Amino acid sequence: MRRGRCMPLLALAAACGLMPTVAAGAPQKESDVLPPAIPNVVEDAWRAALPCVVKLYGGAIGSAHGYGTGVIVSSAGQIVTIDSVMLDARNLRAVLHDGRTFHAEVIRRDADRELALLRIESHDLPLLEPETSASLEIADGVIAAGNCFKVAEGEEPVTVMYGVLAARTALDLRRRAQPLAYGGEVLVLDAITSNPGMAGGPVLDLTGRWVGIVAGIAEAESTGTRLNYALPIEEVRAFLGRGGTSEEAAARGASGNAPAASASGADRGPAAAGPRGARPDTGLRLFNLGYRDVAAFVDRVVPGSPAQRAGIRPDDLIIAVDGKRVATISDYERIAADWRNGQTVRLTLKRGDEVLTVEMIVEPPR
Amino acid sequence: MKCSLLAIKARQAAGVFIFFAATPFSSSVARPGAEGAELDRARAAVARRALSLVEPSIVTIETIGGTQPEPEQQGFGPPTTRPARGRGGVRVADGPTTGLIHSPDGLILTSSFNFVRDPSIITVILTDGSRHVARLLARDTIRRLALLRIDATGLPLPAWSPDGDMAVGQYAVACGRGYGGPAPSVSVGIVSALGRRGGQVFQTDARTSPVNYGGPLIDIDGRVLGVIVPMAGAGSELAGVQWYDSGIGFAVPRETIERSIDRLARGDDIHPGKMGVLLSQVDEPRDMPPSAEPDKSPRVAIRAVATPSPAQRAGLRAGDVIAALGGAPIGGIDDLQRRVGDLEAGAEIVLTIERDGRPQEIRLTLARARDIGPSWLDPEQESPPPATQPADPPPDS
Repeated sequence: MRRGRCMPLLALAAACGLMPTVAAGAPQKESDVLPPAIPNVVEDAWRAALPCVVKLYGGAIGSAHGYGTGVIVSSAGQIVTIDSVMLDARNLRAVLHDGRTFHAEVIRRDADRELALLRIESHDLPLLEPETSASLEIADGVIAAGNCFKVAEGEEPVTVMYGVLAARTALDLRRRAQPLAYGGEVLVLDAITSNPGMAGGPVLDLTGRWVGIVAGIAEAESTGTRLNYALPIEEVRAFLGRGGTSEEAAARGASGNAPAASASGADRGPAAAGPRGARPDTGLRLFNLGYRDVAAFVDRVVPGSPAQRAGIRPDDLIIAVDGKRVATISDYERIAADWRNGQTVRLTLKRGDEVLTVEMIVEPPR
Repeated sequence: MKCSLLAIKARQAAGVFIFFAATPFSSSVARPGAEGAELDRARAAVARRALSLVEPSIVTIETIGGTQPEPEQQGFGPPTTRPARGRGGVRVADGPTTGLIHSPDGLILTSSFNFVRDPSIITVILTDGSRHVARLLARDTIRRLALLRIDATGLPLPAWSPDGDMAVGQYAVACGRGYGGPAPSVSVGIVSALGRRGGQVFQTDARTSPVNYGGPLIDIDGRVLGVIVPMAGAGSELAGVQWYDSGIGFAVPRETIERSIDRLARGDDIHPGKMGVLLSQVDEPRDMPPSAEPDKSPRVAIRAVATPSPAQRAGLRAGDVIAALGGAPIGGIDDLQRRVGDLEAGAEIVLTIERDGRPQEIRLTLARARDIGPSWLDPEQESPPPATQPADPPPDS
């Protein structure tokens, strides 16, 4: 069984010439060359983390599931998990890997990241160190573990899943109709983690490094489907006050994995307020009949305005600003609200069957 | 050919292992599972290399305008899993979707799912960041494909896996642009089954969803195995979306695409064929001639015939029992609907029916749903019969 599982990995690597082979002079019989034991990737990486994962049981309030997963982050009984109403239960319990059950209390919450810190009265606990997700690349193997559907009872170990990193990007998320506050980068997992009880479970890379935390069930705005995703471990570190070093930030920037540094919570983007003085007016008037969700057609361009100097004409359709899609007037207005005088913005216009991009300098009216 | 290739790969693999076993790891030996991790890293590198080969041919499609389709109107039953949005259907988002370059001069192959909102404006973004207005040439609502045209030249074509080279169990990576971001997303799986839906599509356990519908399913060498589509049951472009991320995904191989691509390029939509009948299952065998073998297979009878319709033109009547399609016995209403639904409007079929206990063959040419009805031809009833079984909106097949 083990052999069967691991051979494809080897075959693939060899077939694609990514690993050196020693085919020349290799023994003839396969029985001679097959190793006594091929490593079990998942078990090896998971073994050390297992005792650090706890099952949480709280209140099933409304449609919320009354259970979840946590990770021990201090030997003195601190546990990180994903915040939810489940934690408001008076009899919140944490069940350790060995079956010991403790009363847990919430000591801190982060509404934006939806992280929570719990404490249990214990000591000398094994713990997981939040490390870095910087080296994780698309298609790298990952392991997610958690109290999925609370199938594990007592000392039974939690569910372990293997998958790969599907994507790493910032996404608009929503839960039912409610947009989530978190706007930073997420690790999209190619493993079905979006199920009750998984939230708060650790995501490990295949060296056993803790790289992320399975986040609460949510839908991606852009796809309309449930997202299997985790917060990068840097968010957990920031929450715990163990922010990344400048070296790490540099490494993340260099790894080419989209925007570096945390984009969540208080340190998200500069405030929208423009500098002192007149509000910017580009002289662009959209065809606005009072509905916000209609396409952003240009109705009028004020003579002598930045929009006219940029070459924008009536009936142009604005389809993107600085590469970000504009589907509706409200999309445009949301983006334009952040413009500051003196800033140059790139508008992508559809004119007839042509797509053109113009640069416009945002200025106050003359 | 395939077998010998695999054997070679296996032998090479054995060689690799020797390399591993004999060479001490220079890095991260201290971590548990370093060897396993090393292997998986090699696997990941292979997947990334495959993706990088096809990536320039994977485009982002953005749409503006259009409306949320009403699942109920399209004969799309309430999904049994993952209800969303209160109405019980899968919400069709208007985020970016995925397409695959099909010709250097601007044909883009994608899934018809990406246009169920009937957007007024479609744009295509190439990997160089350039944005083009796209025209939706036509849709194939059987295979859930669509063909776009943009005004461009010299577009990079992907390599396709050779026809007939696909095997169950081989690696398959689903690539999509639905999350936006600079790189396509990946889902790694295998080919799960060949020859689904009358041989028109094949199956994968890589996670397929609106994230990658219209995108390529590629092999480990970065060659395209097929275009990912939602596919389950007959009906609208939405049918099958409720199975997203389930491990049951579908892709259309090149042989199937080639059967309809020229017509799509000419602007001809391809519609599922309909007979124009309302069906019901016959539980009790009836009017069996004494000589007949006892038949346990479910029997499907015509409840009503729409007019105008292919069924009416061919002389089918309420009460006729449909025994076979194209000489192959019918396995029930679902089976008949699926098999007819996989055929195109305009296709000629041969039905074996039993009328008054006697078999006869009826030829008819399938038509588009919109060309059928709205009246019912029923000598016994003046008003259209209520749809009892199945619950799909009539005309049924």
